Amino acid sequence: MNDFIHKLESLMKEYSQYKFQFHFRIWKTEFLRFFRSMTNYNISKEITSAACTMYKGKKSYSFSVDDPTFDKIHKGIEDAIGIIDSLPEDPDYVDMDDDTSIAPETKVVNNIESLPLEKKIEILSSISEEAAKREFKIFGTFITNFVKGFVLNSNGVKKEFVTSPIMLDVKAVSDNNMVTVLESFGGPDPDKFNQNEFTDSLMKKVDMACLPVVDAPAGKYEVILSPAAIGEFIGYLMHGAHAATLDQGSSFFQDQLDKKIFPETINITDEPHNENLIPSSYSGSGRTLHDLPIVTNGVFKNFMVDNYYGNKLKMDKNGNEAGNLVMGNGDKTVDEMISSVKDGLYISKLHYMNFINPKDMTVTGLTRDGTFLIKDGKIVNVINNLRYTESIGRIIGAICEIERKRHALPSSENYGTFGISTSLMPHVKVKDFNITSSTETI
Amino acid sequence: MKELVKKTLNILNAPDVQFGDVRVTVTDNENIFFERGFLKGAASEIASTSIGVRVLIGGTWGFASTSDLSSASIEKIVKEAVQNARLGARFKNSPIEYKPVDGIVASYHFDPIKDPFKIPLKEKVSYLGEIASKMGKLDGIVHSIVHTHFYKQYKVYGNTEGTLVDTTVYDARPSMMVAAADQNGFQTRAFPGHMPAQRGGFEVLEKLDFINNIDKIAEEAKELLTAPRVTEDQADIIINNGHLALQLHESVGHATEADRMFGMEISYAGKTFVKENMLGNFKYGSDLVNIYTDASDKRGIGYHPVDDDGIPSKRVDIIKNGVLVDLQTSRYTAAELGLEPSSNMMATHASEFPLIRMSNICIAPGKGSLADLIKDTENGYLLDYTKTWSIDDNRNNFQFTTEIGWKIENGEIKHIVKEPTYFGITKDFWNSCDRICGPEEWGFYGTFYCGKGEPGQVMHLSHGVAPMRFKNVKMLPGN
Repeated sequence: MNDFIHKLESLMKEYSQYKFQFHFRIWKTEFLRFFRSMTNYNISKEITSAACTMYKGKKSYSFSVDDPTFDKIHKGIEDAIGIIDSLPEDPDYVDMDDDTSIAPETKVVNNIESLPLEKKIEILSSISEEAAKREFKIFGTFITNFVKGFVLNSNGVKKEFVTSPIMLDVKAVSDNNMVTVLESFGGPDPDKFNQNEFTDSLMKKVDMACLPVVDAPAGKYEVILSPAAIGEFIGYLMHGAHAATLDQGSSFFQDQLDKKIFPETINITDEPHNENLIPSSYSGSGRTLHDLPIVTNGVFKNFMVDNYYGNKLKMDKNGNEAGNLVMGNGDKTVDEMISSVKDGLYISKLHYMNFINPKDMTVTGLTRDGTFLIKDGKIVNVINNLRYTESIGRIIGAICEIERKRHALPSSENYGTFGISTSLMPHVKVKDFNITSSTETI
Repeated sequence: MKELVKKTLNILNAPDVQFGDVRVTVTDNENIFFERGFLKGAASEIASTSIGVRVLIGGTWGFASTSDLSSASIEKIVKEAVQNARLGARFKNSPIEYKPVDGIVASYHFDPIKDPFKIPLKEKVSYLGEIASKMGKLDGIVHSIVHTHFYKQYKVYGNTEGTLVDTTVYDARPSMMVAAADQNGFQTRAFPGHMPAQRGGFEVLEKLDFINNIDKIAEEAKELLTAPRVTEDQADIIINNGHLALQLHESVGHATEADRMFGMEISYAGKTFVKENMLGNFKYGSDLVNIYTDASDKRGIGYHPVDDDGIPSKRVDIIKNGVLVDLQTSRYTAAELGLEPSSNMMATHASEFPLIRMSNICIAPGKGSLADLIKDTENGYLLDYTKTWSIDDNRNNFQFTTEIGWKIENGEIKHIVKEPTYFGITKDFWNSCDRICGPEEWGFYGTFYCGKGEPGQVMHLSHGVAPMRFKNVKMLPGN
């Protein structure tokens, strides 16, 4: 890879009247998908790609090539030279990123090698046997990626990165009525995967899933949101914390900087180097990432500002992309939180959420993978999946209890190179959660 | 490329390979993107090439792919695919059976009127720039986007049954959007709507006449800021094509994919409320509702001569006179259900594993024009252009908000309403249909972005629809 970087650097010198930004990536995945307690398919895939954006003043042109060679990129640049003068300028563009600082080095193990297919099959067979004892089958994915690459630009940015995340999602599905519960593991370190703990936690949920199924009417409920569920809401909340949405007039946080908008107990940060999460060293433009407080004691503290919008809006750039969200913890155990609910719901996971209006953060979506009725402090029934129509701002504002423990959760963008990220979230209790209809199905 | 596919198939002929196929795709993409009147992105991906090998061994699939087409690389992925299948077979409780199909040799090469990849970028930028420039100067508009995506894919599919097919397709997806905002909200209007993709080249963009539609959507976006909301909790609604295609897509298209019934998509996209015992007797819609999949219709962007399972394209009725009669299937799921495969197995690129995907899923037209249907509506709403969509894991409970609605009283449009939101249960909704407009209102609406599978794939597909009326639909009344 070093040789390739040197060649690109020589290209940048050769065409010094232009400015360049290069992204180069070698992406490998070993992707096991399973259903009905058996293999659906195994995929081995390797993609090497390069993207180049070329600038002449405020004019720019981008191209990408698969399986890149120096000759292919050279040809791409020659073609771009023939095009770029004919393009109009972007008056908002100032310059490419110039942050040349280097993130602390982290040791990365290639998890494609440390978790081979044989080992994955062994783990899944064991979990499947436990599930079968309760008349459940397992469905899901077991993924190991290995990604290596660099960002290079004419302003001296030269950042190499390597990452090898693991993601295991196991859904246990009832043979009898299709009730589904989920357990996930994600992170950079296979040694942190405790198979017994994982299986025990999943089987505890399976036992809950064996409760009788009932329907719940529309209305306002006190709810316990699982770490995955509150994590999804906070992920959507972050839409409004990007400087781009501020510029486009759709930000929920417009005019809210340094104002108290949530209860004092709410703290949300982006922590790219949190040791429990998959590290994110650099932003897309190559900026070195640091911890960024977004909400501190209920006060909105910072937008996430990339190089482009930092220049355009004259805001301090940080490059954060909400890839490592951490919610501050509270002082309760999840059992204490459930036992304090007289008549409410436990929501495990959300599904198909979409904005109705991003500016006021109204969304609609559904529950999935285990929705439970809580009566007098105990989980007593499985509930058909439910639809909510809510403002995420209101939900965060109505959090009245937060769990002491936090849980590392994987999520994936799923498309492209299946980028896996992790967040650290506790259970939370929310008042008056607005359920608008039942799905009549589990 | 055909020779490469044949050569790769030859090395797949190990004795334990029950079935194998090889695909090569060479894909061109070009995106031109303006924001608030200025060019923000002009990007191309030319001749993105990949090869994928799928093998069925011991009743289990193995797959491997690469973008490196060298002999050494291809030999490596063949070995990986075989190894993946053999190891995967250790975690199995019932084998996948494959009923043989006769091999087919075919070619299809679409010629656009104006090949966008042969038109100089300068010309395309200039054409779109004129549109963007007009949009960037509109009073009261806080944001505007003009985006066009041109796509070309050459593909070769071959399998161990002797099928060898090569195709070339061109698709275009032009769109524009304006946004108005005030203290109370953020309202958008898009043109030509949520599913603007069509088979063709630059001519697709020209035919849409963007420049003469800008003022209309800008005025509507501004008017929406202060427009009233729907007040009823139940209403008769006419859904126009700019949104109806998505209603069909979400609550019939995905619901009738047989892999969801088998739980093959539970881990991501979800399941379906449709069960095997509903076939032939489940009243999915009213008697007027006839819905079919037709991968053989060349007008839609879901056309293919043969799917990625080696099944020739065909038309298959899914809902006949309101009754569920068939499903979108693969060879595996069709055999398990006692059906004939419907030619719906597709992958976006050769580097991806094929899945059951919609091709062209359509509602058969009824009678009459949209104007007639409005006249025939005493009290209700005309809804169009998708704003928000959401449907549950089983494709049973949906909620949609459209960008705009029009109040109808005594057969006449009275005024617009903002963010009209309706929701319901799939079966109840399709059974409430009492009118479908005729062939004069029927057309194809396509998307590039139907997401499914893990790793995720976004598929090009389309829907044929004509406006429909639904009675007593549940609405979410606003303040």
